[in-house]
Amino acid sequence: MSDPVLSVERLAVWFDTPWGEVPAVRDVSLALQPAEALGIVGESGSGKTVTCRSILGLLPANARVAGRITVEDADVVQLSRRELEGLRGRRIGMIFQNPSSYLDPVMRVGEQIAEGMRHHFDVPRRDARASSIDLLRHVRIADPEGRVDDYPHQLSGGMKQRVMIAGALACRPRILIADEPTTALDVTVQARILELLRALRREERLSLILVSHDLGVIASICERVIVMKDGRVVEEGRTEEVLRRPSHPYTRDLIGANPSLVPAAEPSRPASRSGQLISIEGLSVTFGRRRGRLARALLGEGRPPVQAVRDVTLSVAEGEALGIVGESGSGKTTLGRAITGLAAPSGGRIVLRNDLLTGRRPAIQMVFQDPYASLDPRYAVGRALAEPLRWHRLCPPDQVEARVLELMTAVELPSILRGRRPHELSGGQCQRVAIARALATEPRALVADEITSSLDVTIQKQILNLLRSLRERLDLTIILISHDLGVVRSLCDRVAVMHEGRVVELGGTADIMRAPEDAYTRELIAAVPRIPQLEP
Amino acid sequence: MRKTSLVLHRLWQMLPVLIGISIVTFLLAQAIPGDPVRLIVGPRAPASVIESVRERYGLDRPVLAQYFVYLGNVLQGDWGTSIAFRTPVLGLILSRVPPTLYLVGGGLLLSAAVALLLAIGAALRQDRWVDQAVRLFSTVGLGLPAFWLGLVLSLVFAVRLGWFPASGFGEGLVDHVRHLVLPWVTIAVVMAPILVRNLRATLIEKLQADFVVAERSKGLPERSIFLRHVFPNSLLTNLHLLGVVAVYTLGIAIIIEPVFAVPGLGQLFIGSIVSRDYFVIQGLTTIFAILTIGATLVVDLLSLVVDPRVG
Amino acid sequence: MMAEREIAVTVEVGRPRVRFSRLTVAGAVIVTAWVAVAMLAPLLAPYDPDATDLRAFLQAPGSPGHLLGTDHLGRDVLSRIVYGTRIDLSMGVIGVMAPFLIGVALGVVSGYSGGLVDTVLMRLVDVALAFPFLVLVLAIVAILGPGLTNYYVALAIVAWVPYCRLVRAETLVLKRSEFVESARLLGLSHVAIMRRHILPNAITPAAVFVVTDIVLTILLGSGLSFFGLGAQPPTAEWGRMIAEGQNFLSQGWWISVFPGIALILLTLGFSLLGDGLAKQLRVRA
Repeated sequence: MSDPVLSVERLAVWFDTPWGEVPAVRDVSLALQPAEALGIVGESGSGKTVTCRSILGLLPANARVAGRITVEDADVVQLSRRELEGLRGRRIGMIFQNPSSYLDPVMRVGEQIAEGMRHHFDVPRRDARASSIDLLRHVRIADPEGRVDDYPHQLSGGMKQRVMIAGALACRPRILIADEPTTALDVTVQARILELLRALRREERLSLILVSHDLGVIASICERVIVMKDGRVVEEGRTEEVLRRPSHPYTRDLIGANPSLVPAAEPSRPASRSGQLISIEGLSVTFGRRRGRLARALLGEGRPPVQAVRDVTLSVAEGEALGIVGESGSGKTTLGRAITGLAAPSGGRIVLRNDLLTGRRPAIQMVFQDPYASLDPRYAVGRALAEPLRWHRLCPPDQVEARVLELMTAVELPSILRGRRPHELSGGQCQRVAIARALATEPRALVADEITSSLDVTIQKQILNLLRSLRERLDLTIILISHDLGVVRSLCDRVAVMHEGRVVELGGTADIMRAPEDAYTRELIAAVPRIPQLEP
Repeated sequence: MRKTSLVLHRLWQMLPVLIGISIVTFLLAQAIPGDPVRLIVGPRAPASVIESVRERYGLDRPVLAQYFVYLGNVLQGDWGTSIAFRTPVLGLILSRVPPTLYLVGGGLLLSAAVALLLAIGAALRQDRWVDQAVRLFSTVGLGLPAFWLGLVLSLVFAVRLGWFPASGFGEGLVDHVRHLVLPWVTIAVVMAPILVRNLRATLIEKLQADFVVAERSKGLPERSIFLRHVFPNSLLTNLHLLGVVAVYTLGIAIIIEPVFAVPGLGQLFIGSIVSRDYFVIQGLTTIFAILTIGATLVVDLLSLVVDPRVG
Repeated sequence: MMAEREIAVTVEVGRPRVRFSRLTVAGAVIVTAWVAVAMLAPLLAPYDPDATDLRAFLQAPGSPGHLLGTDHLGRDVLSRIVYGTRIDLSMGVIGVMAPFLIGVALGVVSGYSGGLVDTVLMRLVDVALAFPFLVLVLAIVAILGPGLTNYYVALAIVAWVPYCRLVRAETLVLKRSEFVESARLLGLSHVAIMRRHILPNAITPAAVFVVTDIVLTILLGSGLSFFGLGAQPPTAEWGRMIAEGQNFLSQGWWISVFPGIALILLTLGFSLLGDGLAKQLRVRA
């Protein structure tokens, strides 16, 4: 084995804050071999991002670093700012998670790509532009000449990420660090970006460090992997070995929580013969109206009308768990909102079974994606849960407290948290409060819109288990909306796949996963990063 | 082209505001106590004169009709006659516009220049004494009474030291400048703090922005990042502030002009209020409104042209 | 991404304490000091503020018995400043009340209702914003006549606009937030939502602004008094004092200068308080 191109020895990073010292990385060592792809996997708070930034010296002013980071015989930790500037970009490049915020919004993409090139290689402007176009082609952007003068907001998420990759490659580094490069992208787009990274690695013989919380992503590119938790490396080795025979309990948890590995839900009970709870017939939801001639002349074009949901027909049986799967723009969220009444149909109808409509109490409740936004920041947990009880007078005032505690127990929240406000709780805890609040009015059905997308994988597993147990105990009908097939697979008997507003496939989860009929569904399933090492 | 249609759209949007302005200024006159005719013609006018005045301003007709008479008069340039000066209001007002424009224009330029220097200095040396001094200056500056500051500057630099004239406007460009230096400094001390605070905050925010981290990761030097990324982004974000400050300066001019006896719109305004010259007050309100929406429009259009995110 | 905000909070961790920044404390101290001056004026002022004494005319500061000197009528400047505190301080606080209440109410209702109500109100706001603020206030005072009461009326008519815009902007965002939607889904009425969820959250920027507005109200009010349109003589209001000293600038600079310094110190207290509050509330959000 030759010398590593990059090695980190006993790295420790902590931050000097007004509240004292906060450690982010406690003891990390790793080595990157030439032309190797090393994965770093961990959840939030594991220190993986801070580690990456330390390698380039990109930490904020209040960061304190101990240890050694060696790149081509230089210790990054000891370098001066000028020396760092020589190292960054030229020896090691980096791409980031959210391309929208990591690109300058008021500079053309071609110029941004060329910047590093012009700085390190002193390339004149005209040549730099031509090189930018070449790079855009290299990262597989269609019509590079047309795109080079665009501004970031004119490009899609996947295209922006390619632009960022091009910008990093422009400096011709030998090593590329990719920090969660596809987390913010749709699954099909992610698959293509990962494919691009694999190809670039081959063509340029780059050494790659790929950071992700998603084991599947890592498994699809990296030969070796290190697992981080709480600022330490808990396990490392060849990817295949680590995945097949994990030695550390945390690694086992992580693998176990991966949605694509959880067994598909068997239809837990036969769908109740009391029939359809919710019947959706030819539903369409359109936002924005096409303005009349006069209005257009006076007021301008306005926003074009968007058909979020097109002609959807499906029904939900009592007691079943239905999954709705799709990428961004598929209309799945709008469909969920239409079911609960938050979005008005512009065509077709939604019919609820009679007994759902009587009484003031709404029979269908919803839980949202962002746990912190779902709760009033000024309301403590107890108060937030008591509010629906009091409003509908669901129990006498002296029993409200007791009922609140019951609800908290049902979602596995310790009663001590009763007086806490959302910002004092973790994401998972907030989401449990949101679920409890939705259950307070004893609804017949619950729509869960991407409720675990903002949570760590291990927490996600807990929340999904909670939903499963609630469904059994309360005979709750659940409509689970997600972009993640694995999540849906673990909970739902049936699934509807949506694409551009339409339901393109509908049927039993296991059936569809095994033998998808629609082309888009096939593409979606194929795009999910597999972990071949773990498949039987 | 989309941007041209946006420009037209913006101009078109001004129409209801212009109508609103005319309604407001009309209502002002309606609220004047006493018989307006008497105010115009004086106590000893003969009946025929009273009649013709009523006719001219439609004062015997219902309110709605009066409004249209008023609107018609305004659009034709008949803004009434000044009771104090005995000359047509429009001409009087227009003659006062140049000094105010000099005052406001120069004041804004000076404020912007000072603000840029201070904000950049403070943002680049955050939390060191330069930053603390700038922040102190901003906080104190926001609480300075402009009229008092003008008096003090006048006392020190004009009366005691004799470097500048204490009042007036002078003849010719150079003379104008000499007379306006102290008023300009007064404006700058009062206005710069607003610009400095916002600009400094934006600069600091942008210096830590994600895209700046990305630029650093490419090895670009700090200076280049600041000049090519942080600074342009911050300016664009604060562009609308320019319009707000311009309008605010226009208002402050009303206070500063009388202190330095600059014969502009502000001095005329205060004078007319004291002498109850109602038509002049009405006319001035209209002119100020026109200048305000003009300034806002210029800033909006500038934003449209310069900021790629708009439109 | 949201996942990075996961706070590993275990059950044992206590609740974070609220810390007041040094700015807020400094501002609060200064404001309290001024309030004390206003309330204890009879005890603090050595002379009656309106007592003229032509023998003691234009005494320089530091002369026996007159720490800050006397004016052209022999009145003690220090006493006039002390009593003037009552007027200028109350001017700031009273002046912002009506605009605050009106602006917040209109902002919430307009932002939440949307539709015609909102459109009409926004057009009204557009027209109000087409004039420099000073111009409108001066024009109304010109019509109604000079005096502090009319100043308050003028403020009530025009000064609510910034509050309305701030609160409306916040309301528009809150209206679409998930916790408001969940309240709708749970069956709460629009009025209940506005009262319990929108108002308490949307009022924050207005509450921060109100302190800055006190500064602006004091400065504008003393400016009006300077021109004879606000507090009327012989009231010892600081702006009036500055105006009275104008004619004696060379022989008796202290008549105009000291009231100005008082104004600066008073507004400084509120500015620091406002800055501190702004920082505080942003940290929590």
